[in-house]
Amino acid sequence: MQELLNTLTLGSIYLLFALGMALAWSTIGILNFAHGAIFVFSAFSAHFVSEYVAMPMPMLILISVLVGATLSALTQWLAFEQILKRSTNHRSAELRVLIGGIGVAAIPIAIVDRATASAPFGFANSTYKSEVYEFMGLRMTNTSLIVIIAGVGIAVALTLWLRASRQGLGLRAIGVDSETASLMGVNRTVMAIGTMAIAGGLAGLAGALQVFQLQAMGVATGDQLLIKAFAMIVLGGLGSMAGVILGAFVLAGAETLIFAVDLGTWVDAVSFGLIFIVLLVRPQGIFGRQEVRRT
Amino acid sequence: MEVPGTRGRLLKATAALAGIAMLAACGGGGEASAGGAGGIARDVKLKGIYDTTGPVAYAGVGASKGMQLAMEEIDEQDFLGKDVRLSLEEVDTANAIERASSEVSRAIADPEVQAIFGPVSGQQAATVAPIVEQAKVPTIFNQAGSDGVVIGDYTFRGTAPMYSYYDIAAKYLSDKGLTNVAVLYNATFPTFAEIGEKEFPKLAEEHGLTIASSYAVQSNTQDFTAQAQEIAANDPDAVVMLLIAPQSVTALTQMSQAGYEGQTVASSVQAAGNVAQAGKHAAGLVYPVDFSATQESELAVNFVEGFKEKYGKAPDQYAAEGYDSMWWLARAIKASGDSSREGIQKGLKQVASEGFEGVMGDLSFEGNDIRVKGVLVKWDGSKEQLVSE
Repeated sequence: MQELLNTLTLGSIYLLFALGMALAWSTIGILNFAHGAIFVFSAFSAHFVSEYVAMPMPMLILISVLVGATLSALTQWLAFEQILKRSTNHRSAELRVLIGGIGVAAIPIAIVDRATASAPFGFANSTYKSEVYEFMGLRMTNTSLIVIIAGVGIAVALTLWLRASRQGLGLRAIGVDSETASLMGVNRTVMAIGTMAIAGGLAGLAGALQVFQLQAMGVATGDQLLIKAFAMIVLGGLGSMAGVILGAFVLAGAETLIFAVDLGTWVDAVSFGLIFIVLLVRPQGIFGRQEVRRT
Repeated sequence: MEVPGTRGRLLKATAALAGIAMLAACGGGGEASAGGAGGIARDVKLKGIYDTTGPVAYAGVGASKGMQLAMEEIDEQDFLGKDVRLSLEEVDTANAIERASSEVSRAIADPEVQAIFGPVSGQQAATVAPIVEQAKVPTIFNQAGSDGVVIGDYTFRGTAPMYSYYDIAAKYLSDKGLTNVAVLYNATFPTFAEIGEKEFPKLAEEHGLTIASSYAVQSNTQDFTAQAQEIAANDPDAVVMLLIAPQSVTALTQMSQAGYEGQTVASSVQAAGNVAQAGKHAAGLVYPVDFSATQESELAVNFVEGFKEKYGKAPDQYAAEGYDSMWWLARAIKASGDSSREGIQKGLKQVASEGFEGVMGDLSFEGNDIRVKGVLVKWDGSKEQLVSE
């Protein structure tokens, strides 16, 4: 049971990180490799403020979310939109967007690196205090509870919103055929920037909660999670938010199990090996559809 | 013979370029002249090539500050003679091996550069070590604990390998009767893998400690809940924690949250306040370092005061290593009476054979590799306290 609880917590952190990336990729077709940098920079921004003013958890999360949303929206507007305008079609733009994202990521990471001299940063000055609860032999912190509720809650809400709302329908239409969607009255540029803002906000939320949960973050943390997020999305099936949820918990479960049998150095090999095997059997991912559709 | 048209111009241009290239090849290369042999030059030019940005920037920046302070003192004291000045030109390798390699090559080709302070990153250092060795340019490395760095007569290291003074941590556990030990270590970080898998088991046997369990993790492991809960359940007397800085903050927090109340012993990576983010969960953490600002020797106290005056904060071990390395170089020039590359190399070896007292204590050498006794410090939750010197 304790392992299940650990999996839920770890999976929720992974899920919060991957949701933003999955949202942008599944709908507007932007595979944002600056997502990890936005995640780190947002958390760092909250850390920076907290060094001067002792703040409660909600305020620090809000700062992180706002910085993440702003940074992500600006990246879309100033970088990716310009790449898309200069490309003949979306397919030809994909590689450029990917490289553009890597290039953009270097800037916030360089700032954080310079400011921290690569030392870990956290919210030691926050007024928030973690409490440990013990119930029938199970141990859990209030932070873990918050992370699980946030991760699962937001994932479910996002999935329902994409399926049931007009904006969600518009986003899914862009994912299928952006030109036709434009003809039907969907403003692609505005929706793209809005989607990236939401994705960035989710990165900021993930960053702040990760810092509260793990107590510290390093400059390289975002890059380490980026590859895992990519794997989660592919495992779950591109275009399926439910797939991302499953992918996150499958990966977290595999890692928790491997740690539980003291095979710590084999975590990546086994986790990604399992994903590889699943993709051999089902290349479109667990919930992905065989036809080439983004939603 | 006149070659008509575009082809003719192209041929002439190619011939001209080839001629320039041949002239350049003849003019440079080989062993760059190191200036006159014998005697100490008025301006002894040094090159510092290390990370001041990137994952190990804390080591490069720290070493740089220590070296700058040492140079000031050496010049103020006229240690090498009246009007003799050391100058250090620094280049940031920015965590890039190829940058380190090209900057070292550039330094070697500059006849004005008499010695190099090499990269702090082990991978970069191991890449440039054969280059400087072949070019016969004396190079002192700080940190750079990998194999393949100190490889010959021209490569030197001013940081003692962590395993060489980890004995004081094992002795501490033994003296305290904390003999049932768990080891949690980053197996993909070479220094920690070496200590976790080879050196600490040897030390444990020597000091009567039992390694009850051993947990290996990767450098990208971020969550330690599983290990923390197992450690708490097994409740060993002590945990030897060999993790990089962000990992150690999380591991300490999660072990504490899991209910573990035993002693944790870590490494010098946890120094310089790197566990501050763990707050109360890090209180009581003990770790061996090669230098602590709490040391009580006269040299150490003066160094700390001078550093605070210059930089407004206490020095870390990287600053102490840089400081002692620069003094090693200055002593080398004085010993040989020669600030050329050969003179510095001979002087460094001579000083190493004799040893000297630095801010890190009595410094001895195994070949060209420094050795220190080490210092054990305790983190009380907000600052370091000396446990043993």
